[in-house]
Amino acid sequence: MGLADYQQDMETCCRCSACKFIPLENVRGLNNVNVCPSIARYNFHAYSGGGRLGIGVALLEKELDYSDKLLEVVYNCQMCGACDISCKYAMDMEVFEPISEIRISCVENGLTVPVFEKMMAGFRRNGRLVQPGRIQEKSWFQGFQVKDYTRQKVDVIFHAGCRISGDESLWKVAQANLALLQKVGIDIGIAGAEERCCGGRAYYLGYKTDFLKQAEHNMKQFARSGARTLVTGCAECYQAFKVLYDRFGFKGNLEVLHTTEFFARLVREGKLAPSKKINLKVTYHDPCYLGRIGEPWIHWKGKQIPGQIRLFDPPREFRRGSYGVYVPPRELLLSIPGLTLTEMDRTREYAWCCGAGGGVKEYNPQFAVWTARERLKEAETTGAEALVTACPGCEKSFHDALQGQKTALQIYDVAELIAKASL
Amino acid sequence: MTIKKEQYAAFEDIVGPENISADPVILYSYAWRSGLLAGATKFTPRFEAIVLPASTLEVQAIVRLCNKFKLQFKASSTGWGIFNDTSGPGVIRLDLRRMNRILEINEKNMYAVVEPYVIGAQLQAELMKRGLNCNMCGAGSNCSALPIAAHQGIGHLSQSGSYGERNQLALEWVTPDGEIVRLGSLGSSDEWFCGDGPGPSLRGIVRGNVVPLGGLGVFTRAAAKIYHWPGPARFPIEGVSPRYAPSHIPENFSIGFYSFSSMDSLDEAQRLIGESEIALELMGFNAAMASANIATSNEEDVKLFREFSQYVQGPCIMIIMAGNSARDFEYKTKVLAQIIDRTGGKAIPRLLDDPKVAGGCLWRWLRSCASIREVFRVSGCFGGEVGQTDSFRLMADYIFKTGQVKGDLIKRGIVYNDGFSPFTQSFEHGHYGHGELLIRYMPNPGTFRVLAQEFLVQANETAIRDHFGVPGHVFGDASHDMYGPHCSNYHLWLRRIKKAFDPNGASEASHYITNKE
Repeated sequence: MGLADYQQDMETCCRCSACKFIPLENVRGLNNVNVCPSIARYNFHAYSGGGRLGIGVALLEKELDYSDKLLEVVYNCQMCGACDISCKYAMDMEVFEPISEIRISCVENGLTVPVFEKMMAGFRRNGRLVQPGRIQEKSWFQGFQVKDYTRQKVDVIFHAGCRISGDESLWKVAQANLALLQKVGIDIGIAGAEERCCGGRAYYLGYKTDFLKQAEHNMKQFARSGARTLVTGCAECYQAFKVLYDRFGFKGNLEVLHTTEFFARLVREGKLAPSKKINLKVTYHDPCYLGRIGEPWIHWKGKQIPGQIRLFDPPREFRRGSYGVYVPPRELLLSIPGLTLTEMDRTREYAWCCGAGGGVKEYNPQFAVWTARERLKEAETTGAEALVTACPGCEKSFHDALQGQKTALQIYDVAELIAKASL
Repeated sequence: MTIKKEQYAAFEDIVGPENISADPVILYSYAWRSGLLAGATKFTPRFEAIVLPASTLEVQAIVRLCNKFKLQFKASSTGWGIFNDTSGPGVIRLDLRRMNRILEINEKNMYAVVEPYVIGAQLQAELMKRGLNCNMCGAGSNCSALPIAAHQGIGHLSQSGSYGERNQLALEWVTPDGEIVRLGSLGSSDEWFCGDGPGPSLRGIVRGNVVPLGGLGVFTRAAAKIYHWPGPARFPIEGVSPRYAPSHIPENFSIGFYSFSSMDSLDEAQRLIGESEIALELMGFNAAMASANIATSNEEDVKLFREFSQYVQGPCIMIIMAGNSARDFEYKTKVLAQIIDRTGGKAIPRLLDDPKVAGGCLWRWLRSCASIREVFRVSGCFGGEVGQTDSFRLMADYIFKTGQVKGDLIKRGIVYNDGFSPFTQSFEHGHYGHGELLIRYMPNPGTFRVLAQEFLVQANETAIRDHFGVPGHVFGDASHDMYGPHCSNYHLWLRRIKKAFDPNGASEASHYITNKE
């Protein structure tokens, strides 16, 4: 699929502006009604889902050339997919996919951003988005006696992800996850310093070819391990393995689970019992790539039936964010004695993004911080003492946004709290 | 024409560099055509620049500069319809996105004051927390809460919540030549409670027959009358998009769907329901609208439409009732039962049996959040015609008469076959009403041409020949000039108004009337 394949979808945009707001049934007042950080921050219609589709059509119709301003608009977007979900409350059309294709077409046309080119050069050299030296010298997995799935057979692979490997402040999340997995006796393996990036971020930056190569490499390595299940605590990696790898035919029968799904299953089965009391009032932030964008890929090949209504042969089911991972993280939090969960205005499929996705953290860090602070303000209005998430990218983004802010709000990953209550 | 550097700099001085752009990437996003009456071209003419004012004073400064530079301007809020577009070069777009505050909710005197970019859903949600409600424009709660400039303000709640020109109270207006005029009570005090005084009243001028559609300056703040809401502060919505639904219908609330064997029967039912003032919402509807509202995809829509069509014996209504107490609700329920019995109405059980289905409909119609499903999902585009506001029966007759023409378009295969039953609705529990005929089609120049050159021509001929008044779809010079001679030469007066307030022709008026001789 390329941008041209989505022309009919893009031309179905009726300019209703629904992509700018949370689904209207859930509007609870004046505040917290925006769903798209990009239009909320930059205000011009071009920064909205609908505006991006208009730009996509203009590119295809040769009305518009690739330009630096185009890149500025294209990459000031977290690729959080909220516009897609708000649109598809009502419409049968793709929004997120053509926006992603615009990025791919920029890269394919040689229009790239220096910060991403540098990242991708490292990615091509090392298979990672972090420098290997930083992993080898001192790593999150030091001190763990755990199998190496690149050399040994395992039942379950635990994938930590680049964001954690490259950031010492986040190691505690991977360490909590691995400790919990070991506690329940799972035959687990990691790749340690050999772990390669999932490739998901490369794909959503527009580097599709690099992603495809990476996915092929990774799946070969996974296959050699004999593992049937891959577990990760990173929402971006989860989405890549579960959705993108499936979409492009790499995933096969590999079961991909987020740690919250895995642990919630164990709690339900009585194999994991958080028993230590944590007196904390928390609110939960749904990571975009675990929630709305993390729902399974729907394979469909067919064509639009000629006529005056958009119907397809065979019938086409659109991904609308309905089947993201929303319940397991909440189940886990509610399983902790003493902990109370309060919800923000924007949750689940219409959650506000943490600000870090889509390369924004690297391309425009101030915008990432602005977006995260909007979420922190929303969290504070719930009266929660802590904001809990299930993605190291989100956690990092929130920590960065807290710098210089007068707030007592704490930031946790679900895994940290479960580990604290269980180990 | 491209905006000159010094002109750009002057606008930039007003709003700051972050809030102005003349880059083609930005301009093309605004030039993508609306889904209303789409098909002639994919892109509308580009604006020269987009500016994002944050206050009335900034709007005024921009308008004055446009007059000085001999540029035109057009303001918009959420940008839903074609009225937001320009028909040619030399126009600056004021995107009012940054003017998004609710300035006041006066519970005692029952009005709300908003800026243009407060959407209907926001205002309604704030009001419901206070036991109040507002009318909502039929285009949906994704649109401005008070679309003074671009919509008649007719909506699903108009039976109990009236409509735009009646709800509008005091108003702040930046005239086309850059004067700030405060109308109604705001003209003599800081109060927003009245649209007509003490202070100047120009309500007729700023709204006219079909509102100026962006062609008569910029409306920067406005007050609207608000209404009593006997329901919960927040609806008990459950589930995940797109299948939201409440687990139950709130106490003392009901929703009903009824079809009638003839327009005469529906007319009688509508009149009796109005006289007894039992309806919170009373909308004419048809099987196509109901199926589109409930369905979450086109595939499901087609199936439901076939199913509902079997139950419908003729024109239909949807009624939402809300009791202020159990006794009030009981009374209303009994009255409705008698009316339906007397007029031969037939309930559509499929829509009532499942509380999730009925409850889903209830909320979607109360908030007007499925209008996009109803009009745009099929193809992303719709056209048709809008009867004007006049007596309910006159509008019903007009819209049913012209509705027959749609049958021909369906036979030719150039529009979506969703039947040719239009919908009509009454306002204010009264005999006043409005009708619309929805035509959905794949946007393309051919169908657009047929709609413009055949369908609308016939609809206009019918309106003029049979004295149905000036329909709501009449805008622009050609239409006004066609209707004017048949209606007291109103077009001459409208043009004089335009000239008086816009001597330089600065307010782009392709969807209103220009000051041409």
